[in-house]
Amino acid sequence: MTSAFTTKRRVLAAVGGAAAIALLATGCSNTSDGNDNKNAAGGTITVGTTDKVTSLDPAGAYDNGSFVVMNQIYPFLMNTPYGSPDVAPDIAESAEFTTPTEYTVKLKEGLTFANGNELTSSDVKFTFDRQLKINDPNGPASLLYNIDTIAAPDDTTVVFTLKQGNDQTFPQVLSSPAGPIVDEDTFSADAVTKDADIVKGKGFAGQYSITSYEINNLIGYKANPDYKGILGLAKNDIVNAKYYTESSNLKLDIQENNIDVAFRSLSATDIDDLKKNDKVTVVNGPGGETRYIVFNFNTMPYGATTAEADETKSLAVRQAMADLIDREEIADQVFKGTYTPLYSYVADGLTGATESLKPLYGDKKGGPDAAAAKARLEAAGVTTPVKVSIQYSNDHYGPSSGDEYALIKDQLEADGLFAVDLQTTEWVQYNKDRTTDVYPVYQLGWFPDYSDADNYLTPFFLKENFLVNHYDNPEVNDLILKQAVTPDRAERTTLIENVQDKVAADLSTLPYLQGDQIAVTGTNITGTQDTLDASFKFRYGALVKG
Amino acid sequence: MNTTAPKTEALSFKTPRTGGFFSRLPVVHQLRQSMGWQRGMLITGLVITGVFVLTALLAPLIAPYGFAQRKADSLAFGTQQPPSGEHLWGTTVGGYDVFSRVVWGSQTALFVIVIAVVFSIFLGVLLGLVSGYFGGWLDRVLVVLCDAIYAFPSLLLAIVMSIVISGGRSSMWGGILAAAISITVVFIPQYFRVIRAETVRIKAEAYVESARVVGASSSRIMFRHVLRNATRTLPLIFTLNSSEAILTLAGLGFLGFGIEPTAAAEWGFDLNKAVSDVSTGIWWTALFPGVAIVLVVLGITLVGESLNDLADPRLRGRRAVSAASGDVAETSVVPGGTLTAGPGGLDGLETPDPIGDEPGEVRS
Amino acid sequence: MSIASVSTEVGPPPASPPSPAHKPKGGGFGRYLLVRFLLIIPTIFILVTVVFFLMRTTGDPITAAQGGRLTPDQLAERIHQAGYDRPLFIQYIEYLGNILRGDFGTTLSDNRPVTTILVTYGSATAELAVYALIVAFVVGIPLGMLAAYRRDRGTDASLRVFAILCYATPVFFAGLLLKLVFSVWLKVLPVAGRASTGSELQMQILPNKTGFYLIDAIQTGDSAVIADVLQHAVLPAVALGLLTAGVFLRLVRTNVIGTLSTEYVDAARSRGVGEFRLVRKHAYRPALIPIITVIGMQIALLLAGAVLTETTFEWKGLGFQLSQYLQSRDFVAVQGIVALLAVVVAVTNFLVDIIAALIDPRVRY
Repeated sequence: MTSAFTTKRRVLAAVGGAAAIALLATGCSNTSDGNDNKNAAGGTITVGTTDKVTSLDPAGAYDNGSFVVMNQIYPFLMNTPYGSPDVAPDIAESAEFTTPTEYTVKLKEGLTFANGNELTSSDVKFTFDRQLKINDPNGPASLLYNIDTIAAPDDTTVVFTLKQGNDQTFPQVLSSPAGPIVDEDTFSADAVTKDADIVKGKGFAGQYSITSYEINNLIGYKANPDYKGILGLAKNDIVNAKYYTESSNLKLDIQENNIDVAFRSLSATDIDDLKKNDKVTVVNGPGGETRYIVFNFNTMPYGATTAEADETKSLAVRQAMADLIDREEIADQVFKGTYTPLYSYVADGLTGATESLKPLYGDKKGGPDAAAAKARLEAAGVTTPVKVSIQYSNDHYGPSSGDEYALIKDQLEADGLFAVDLQTTEWVQYNKDRTTDVYPVYQLGWFPDYSDADNYLTPFFLKENFLVNHYDNPEVNDLILKQAVTPDRAERTTLIENVQDKVAADLSTLPYLQGDQIAVTGTNITGTQDTLDASFKFRYGALVKG
Repeated sequence: MNTTAPKTEALSFKTPRTGGFFSRLPVVHQLRQSMGWQRGMLITGLVITGVFVLTALLAPLIAPYGFAQRKADSLAFGTQQPPSGEHLWGTTVGGYDVFSRVVWGSQTALFVIVIAVVFSIFLGVLLGLVSGYFGGWLDRVLVVLCDAIYAFPSLLLAIVMSIVISGGRSSMWGGILAAAISITVVFIPQYFRVIRAETVRIKAEAYVESARVVGASSSRIMFRHVLRNATRTLPLIFTLNSSEAILTLAGLGFLGFGIEPTAAAEWGFDLNKAVSDVSTGIWWTALFPGVAIVLVVLGITLVGESLNDLADPRLRGRRAVSAASGDVAETSVVPGGTLTAGPGGLDGLETPDPIGDEPGEVRS
Repeated sequence: MSIASVSTEVGPPPASPPSPAHKPKGGGFGRYLLVRFLLIIPTIFILVTVVFFLMRTTGDPITAAQGGRLTPDQLAERIHQAGYDRPLFIQYIEYLGNILRGDFGTTLSDNRPVTTILVTYGSATAELAVYALIVAFVVGIPLGMLAAYRRDRGTDASLRVFAILCYATPVFFAGLLLKLVFSVWLKVLPVAGRASTGSELQMQILPNKTGFYLIDAIQTGDSAVIADVLQHAVLPAVALGLLTAGVFLRLVRTNVIGTLSTEYVDAARSRGVGEFRLVRKHAYRPALIPIITVIGMQIALLLAGAVLTETTFEWKGLGFQLSQYLQSRDFVAVQGIVALLAVVVAVTNFLVDIIAALIDPRVRY
């Protein structure tokens, strides 16, 4: 979900927060919040965010802001329970491979939408059929590439026939942006449905239904008493989500207790400041977002198509950079602890995550080591300083990228081993350039579609990948393909760890930071911790006021 | 746009033939002419502008650190440090020295001003001459085109232009050119209409006809006379053009379409980065670049307004009026429009035109 | 434009009869109106065309949204599917055709009808512009008169510096300071937004929503909501209004001074009318005329200022939305908004011209 990173001027740091009027901090539950002195019923929670919604229709949006909303209002076949990175049946009774290519889901009995319509296997079939049919340019249909056909033999049974058998990521895909189940009577079968029609049709069967909707300004939610899924009923009655565009305004409102929760995105400075404020609580949880440097194997120094192509030297250059980078310093100085050092490709907290880079580079304990870098370059016969141009995006991965890369430049140049030419380009052009070998070394970031290690490997390190950096290790390629279809969990985890170790030696990319999810809440809000988990889904239903 | 017809006064402008060459130089002449508060404002403006230009030119000498420097003697400055002996105005969230960046920022601002002004004058004057001289459909098209551009919010145009021009690369020259060219586009119509009106008027003058008859290059005559007569208004548009250039550059930087910190220092960008500092009590990162923008625009505008007043006998100041020579007021310009605007323009009430406006002057 | 009525009460008649050159060149007022009106069309056409081609050179919405996630092949396929790889000229003709049929399209990035966007955000911007104009008039005109009355003295000089400062201070810087003082330190005004959540929810359920929050608030009949909406409007209106107030102040000053030196006023002066009364009664009305004619231009300035004001204060209007759509390369939305802005500016100028022409026949073609 790219838009995890899209809001241009504001930090990525995920944050949330709530605030209640200071004198209410004692904890009475029937008070109104902040400015909201009119019709606020008891237990109304106001959430502020700088997310951007593009559509309420799952077929028309593939971005984080819209997905947050969908997670509140739509049910999934598979979903991540609070506190876990792994999926379990949500509105399904059971879900399993009945044959290697047949994934059978049994729905619970008596499911309904908020508009009274029954939720049956026919709705489920409709949901996925329309995703594939509409295949909207802004939609997530590409995640469903493995679905061949869908059948609904009876009201509670759905059978997915897959092109490739034993796809271990398929249950996760059902919890991804391609997975929200919609009402076949409300949604159009062959076009993205307009938000206004969706709100009017009330085809909601998640924890909440939407009572009032003004895109990117205000969404009013009411708990849905008929939700029967794994998350349980929402623990509050009414949630109002307020959309900001400037994180500084979000920060001021949470600081002044005008809203109860601020989730995504406050700047590092803001969070640092709010931590000192006793009217609010800053809650941290693991985040799935990673930041990394990509090497173009063709055009980087000594790359395959450069004049002095030399595989050994090119590897030495990558390794020396891995030796020199000081993750702690970037996390502290630039991000003030809202990011943490990352030593592998899979985000920490997910099943199968390792710290593969730690023992290989720098001082082997996570810190940098200039002497090691120097020795490595000398051993490979690389003349120093190595001239390298690094590109970063100043508008897609938060406002701190500039400071971040200025610091990385300093770190690489500190001992005269590198001479860095730092450049930045506006995001659209950036994407055109990076995939056409214009940038030898460049910045990217990632936010997963679903919380499975596979989503950190398959898109990146197969021969055909979205980085297009010409990295090609057949062994890695095979291992990645193999783990995806290995039903045995332990065996699969070992394979995933293997992949990370191998890529860590090759350094196709250099991961260095992982973003926390951070919510800021008023002191009378509890339950935030429950939803800031490795599912990376923020559920309003977990929040309790008072 | 439309109604604000440039009030081309019929009396041609005669520079008073008093004093030496020096005192007839544009600004010097006006300075001598001014008195009282008027003079105070002009001098203040000149001083501020002078300091700004000097700072920009001497930036490498004045600034203690480079604009992209984050450490000295391999010791990092630290981020958001309050003002101290080491860092007069503290450091930013990126760990840069605020004072140095403000000083270097003046250089970027000056570049933008110079490029924007040179481009707009050159193109505006050229188009104005061509349009006014040849007339016909070309003239009409240009007039409508200029109206269309002029009608459009300049900042939005600048945003589009910045993406188009720099291809999104936030390099120093990419950013400078983006701001400068978008300002150029917005300001061409201003120069255009003044020059065009002047050209249309002079074209009809008898001496141009006679010059043509004796075989003198009429374009040469046009150039000389038009430019000489337009000198009253041009400095004014010029100063507006400059301040608008700074404000647009800052606006672009603030909205995130500006220049990256390692490429050049830019006030708007620094202000943008400082927004979240302000609410946390870190005032120094926003205050200084903000004040720099305000001061420079103030200085330049003071000069422009004073020059405008001095070119206009009604505004020159009561005591000065009697001393004034035959100079006659021209179009006065304010941001977003002409000052002595339109048909009801009081010039018309005050000085009946002996010759009258050329029909073409009233732009609609 | 409430002041339009003021303008018709013209003070002094033109001192000199229109010279022969001013005579309308055939055709009367009707013809003039028609010409002026028809000129709106090419203006809009030019802007829309320029924006159409400029936008296409800057990339496409699909790369903007999905570039960090999909492979180049997938991107190319989606771009093809959306038709952005067809020849520009064909896309352009198609677009013009749609516009002529009154179809402004659906936004590419968030799938909403452009007309809805124009109505929703247009009313927000219009509301802000009205507030800002009120501030500009209330501040600019009396102070301009005061400056003219006290001309060449300390008061005049400081007022003029104040006027320049209004223009010289970037809206976002002023906004930052205003927020800091009134929202954070004094805590008397809200930080941002057009209304608080409670009020917005109350207004959302109204049957005849206008999008003008003040009108909607009055419809709710709840004084707390009205107060809330007004409170939210104060800072943005001041930030944007002062920008224009500076211009008005200078205009009024210049023109009042100009009128004060006319024979008409001289006559009054010789009758023994006091200087202050002169300013108030005799010089002020004629001085308003040029202001009215300048409003057309102020609209453009105001809209440019609105982009920054709307961003600073979360005032979700057209200017702000436009910069968002620019970022996501949403051609359709950008073109729609640009066309609307062009229409607004052109029509305002048209109206102003008519008023001006009614006042002074000399401007007619």
